[in-house]
Formats: sequence, C-alpha cells, structure tokens
Amino acid sequence: MKTSIKYACLVAGALTLAGPVAAQTVVTVGGYGELFAEKYKKAVIDRFNESQKEVRVEYYAIGSSAQILGNLRAQKSAPQLDLAVLDISVSKAGTDEGLFDKIDETVSKRVADLNPQARLEGAAGIGFTLDNVVMLYSKKQFATAPTSWSAMWDPALRNKVTVSAPPEILGLALSIVVDKMEGGTDFKASTAKGLAKLAELAPNVLTFDPKPDAYAPILSNQASLGVGWNARAQYFADQPDSNLGVVLPKEGSIFQINTLNLVKNRPSGEAATKFLDYALSPEAQIAFAKEVAYAPTNMKAVVPEEIAKRTAAGAPERMIAVNALDLAAVRDRIVQEWRRSVISRK
Amino acid sequence: MNAVPGAGASRRAVLALLFPIMLVNLIGFIVPMLNLGLLSFKEALTGGGIGEKFTLANWVTLVTDDFNRELLLNSVGVSLAITVAALVLSYPIALYIQRAEGLWRSILIVLVISPLLTSAVVRTYGWVVILSDQGGLPSLLNAIGLTAPRMIFNTTGVIVGLTEILMPYMIVSLLAGFGRLDPRLEEAAATLGASPIQSFWRVVFPLTLPGVALGCLLVFVLSVSSFITPKLLGGGRVFLLATEIYDQAIVTLNWPLAATLSILVLVLFGLVLVVYGRAVAALD
Repeated sequence: MKTSIKYACLVAGALTLAGPVAAQTVVTVGGYGELFAEKYKKAVIDRFNESQKEVRVEYYAIGSSAQILGNLRAQKSAPQLDLAVLDISVSKAGTDEGLFDKIDETVSKRVADLNPQARLEGAAGIGFTLDNVVMLYSKKQFATAPTSWSAMWDPALRNKVTVSAPPEILGLALSIVVDKMEGGTDFKASTAKGLAKLAELAPNVLTFDPKPDAYAPILSNQASLGVGWNARAQYFADQPDSNLGVVLPKEGSIFQINTLNLVKNRPSGEAATKFLDYALSPEAQIAFAKEVAYAPTNMKAVVPEEIAKRTAAGAPERMIAVNALDLAAVRDRIVQEWRRSVISRK
Repeated sequence: MNAVPGAGASRRAVLALLFPIMLVNLIGFIVPMLNLGLLSFKEALTGGGIGEKFTLANWVTLVTDDFNRELLLNSVGVSLAITVAALVLSYPIALYIQRAEGLWRSILIVLVISPLLTSAVVRTYGWVVILSDQGGLPSLLNAIGLTAPRMIFNTTGVIVGLTEILMPYMIVSLLAGFGRLDPRLEEAAATLGASPIQSFWRVVFPLTLPGVALGCLLVFVLSVSSFITPKLLGGGRVFLLATEIYDQAIVTLNWPLAATLSILVLVLFGLVLVVYGRAVAALD
C-alpha cells in the first residue's frame, strides 16, 4: 500500500512538473527542405522557442512550394499545418482555392512595416524573406568576376552555360531580364527581343535542366556560367575551396518572394499568429539574413553592410519590379517561345 | 443447363478469397484513377489554382495543341528505340545464359539482375560521368582523333541510359520465354542441312518470340513511364509524356492538365496491352 502511495505521489509530482509543458500550444510550420529548413530552424525557430513558453513551433521540411501546396490540398478538410512557406505565386494559387486566411495589419501590426513587394494583390500570404536571381560563375574559368549577363553569349563558352528553361522561375526571370537588356519595355506585351537573344545562347547551353540543381555543374567543373538563386549560391560559394562565384549583374535581376501563409481552420488557432508576428520582426529577419543570404522584407530590419552586400538589399536599384501574377499570366507564352525558338536551336 | 453441385459455394469461396485484393485495388487504384479522371475535367486557374468548375478545356488542349502531339510521338518513338536497342543487346546475352549450365548459369543470372539492386538514379549519374564531355567515352573518341558528338543532355543520352537501365528486365523476360527452346531442334535443323544462320532465324528465333513479346512489352511500358533518367540525361531538350506530367504537376501546378496527360499514358498502355495480347494469341 505504501508503495502504491509512493508511486501515486511520484506520478502526481511528474504531472505537476509537466504542467507548463503540456500547456504549450504546438504550431506546425510546413516549409522548404534542405538548406532553408536547416538555417531557418537555427536562426529563427529555435530562438523563438527559447524565448517564450506558451507556443512551441515545429518545422516540417516538406520540399518545394508545389509539394507543400499538394499537402495543403490533401489536408483541406482537416489541416495538420498551421503555417505554410510558399513562393508568392503559389500562395496566390492556394488563396484562390480557399486554403488560407488573409494576413494583414489586423493579424500582425508588423505587416505595415513590410516592403510593398511583400504583398501581392489577391494572395493571402505575406512575404517574409526575399531571394533573387543571380549569375553563377566558375572561379577557375574567370579570373575576375563577370559583371554582365552578356558574358553567357561568349562563343568561347560553347556547352559551358547552364540555364533552367521555363516553366522554372529561373528561366522566366532570365527571359524578362534579357528582354529588358535588349530594349524590351513591357514583358506583359512581348518578350520577343529577349527570346531572339536567348535563341543565340542555345549553342552555349550545356543543359536547359541542370540536375540536381543549378550549382552542381559549376561546382563539378562541367559548366562555367549558370543562373541560380542568390541565397543557395552564396552558401555554396562560402564552402572551403569552392570554385563557385556569385554575381548580381549590372543589367539587373528579379526578386523571388517567400511568403508565410495562415492555413484556414488550422489546429493551433490564434497561436500561429504569435510566431507569424515574430517571423516578420526585424530581429528574426536580420538573424536569418546573417545565417544565409535571404534579404529581409521588413523595412525596419537594417542588416550590417557586409551582409547587405551578399543580398539584393545591397543593390536595390538593380532589381526589376515584376508582379508575380503578371508573370504567371505570360508564363505559357514564354514557355512555348522557349520550346519553339530557344531549346530547339542547335 | 444443370447447375454443378457445389458450384455456388465454390464461387462464394473464390469471391471471398478475392475480396481482400479487390478491396486493395479499389482503394489503391480504382478510386485514385477516378479521382484523376475527375481532376482532368476541372478548370486550371492562372497561377496554378484548381477551379471548382467543370470544363473540357484540358481535353481540347490535349487534342488541338501540336506540342502534345509531339509529346506523344516523342514518347512512343524514344520508347520504341529503347525497346529495340534493349532487345538487340539483350538477346545474345539471354541466349548465352540459357545455354550455360550449372553454377556458371547461376552466376550469370545474378550478374544480370544485380544492377537492379542499385538505384536508377545512381546508375543514371554513372552515365553522366561516362557520357559528359570530360567523361570516359568522349575522351576515348577524342584520343583516337575522332570528334565526339554530344552524347548527353539530348535524346542520345536518354536512349543510352534507359537502354542500359532496362536491359535486366528484357533479359529476365527473354529467359522466362525461352522455355520452348530445345537444343535437339537445332541439332535436327543442322542434320537436315540448315546453316547456323538459317537455324537461328527459322528455328530458334520463332520459338523465342513469346519471350521477345514479353520483354518488349515490359521495356516499352517502363520507358514510357520513366521519369528520372530522361530528366537527368535529357538536359531539358527531350520532351516526353512523363517529364511533361512532372512539369505540369510540380512546376506550373497545372494538376488538371497533368491528370489529362496521365490518362493519355494510361490509354497508351491499354493499347499496348491489346497489341501484346493479340501478338501472343497469334504466336500460340
């Protein structure tokens, strides 16, 4: 009998100690995998979890925006995720399907501090970090870093350039940048000038679909120039003895906006907005920019100069304003033009 | 007609035994397929959303868009080339294994099957190393003074890679179909004055046709549905049904069109099975 009482006391004590833990609301965030997941957990989520007791965030690395959207579609009647990380165009697609609650100033006051580019008309999600298209180059091939996209057309680089063809966003972005470089004024009306120039690039292209990613062919010395995303490129460039260099060419580039989306009928209810508020704060955005080169969307987030240089925040004048919806509207046309006049060229 | 005594009970027993697999098929295959069919009639919104309205637009696009016709022809053409290449390369190997005896035969069969123990992704990357400009084969050709053509990131790369990857299936299918091959028939043909070539074409080959048909069916179907190897070795220049379904589903988020293309693949498989069924019936 005494033993039973002893055990009962132990269990009661354990339950008392576990009390505050059990009261925590778990907020589940579904997002990109690999580098993004590793760095975001370290720079933002771990700090958030350490800073308070009521809410605990768990991050699930699902994969690409499309895979995350696939999960959200499958869970529509009984969501498991509270927040989803998505490219802004995919956020719009999910919004059209009624998957998200709108994020505005009534949800988080920090929304008012965000760069206007962080919002897209009709998309419920809100931009919390920015990436941008960059030119990748091999330091073995180039003693000094190239400064212009036109370096890709050098006849000496036959079979030495990699480009991700549309419908990949990198290819769509390149079409717009090259069109502007060639004197195009409105990609919504026509990208003919850019496509004509890109058709001349075809003989230099080793692959229009670099695998496993845009960085591998340069890291393995198969290619000399390529097109990729800034944050991952900076990460690979930082590795010891890396031969990969990163350039934001003078003709400009476009942003890719990563959004946080509040899932409709989410299990954690209002607790998710607590983390959302933190994710939009200057503190979280600066910490993430320091960890890996994603630019902040909060205009109050002032990053140190050496970090700013590694993101588009260091050269905002070079960024071409492109509305993701406008890009989606012309995507099929650009895809067809690439297939007809660029990829089919020898 | 008189009912066979006990036939009803026997039928009930058969149905009861079939019930678990029918249930698995219903949940795992029929329902998803119906879902896919339904999705192909949904509206694809600009930007990747799926609308609530039903439409024939995806099917109209499938029929009227020249690119989709090109996709179908490319897929069938490349898969036929892979099937023929795999057959030509596998047939002598299978025939040799069939005639080998004892431990040596077992060793050869294990060697043939062992590549299947390695992931297709790993084997495909092996071909990237061999066929790329600095790779083994182009370097060898350049060393003997020939100009090596581009062998990777185009249709050639896809055909080479998939042929090698699918050869074990062809060899195993051929061996399974070589059951009717009897060495005494070849001896009889030789006794009657047939040359080795005549003996092969008029005796051996006709007897192995069931194996050939089975191997071709398997390799053709696997090539049409192959996605990883064309994606890795095609360099974005080879447009096939499987890679397009991936692009539509994962990159442009046009699930309705991806579903429509998937059903087209299913119909293609159905047609191939009909042809196979008729070929086998004719051979019997």
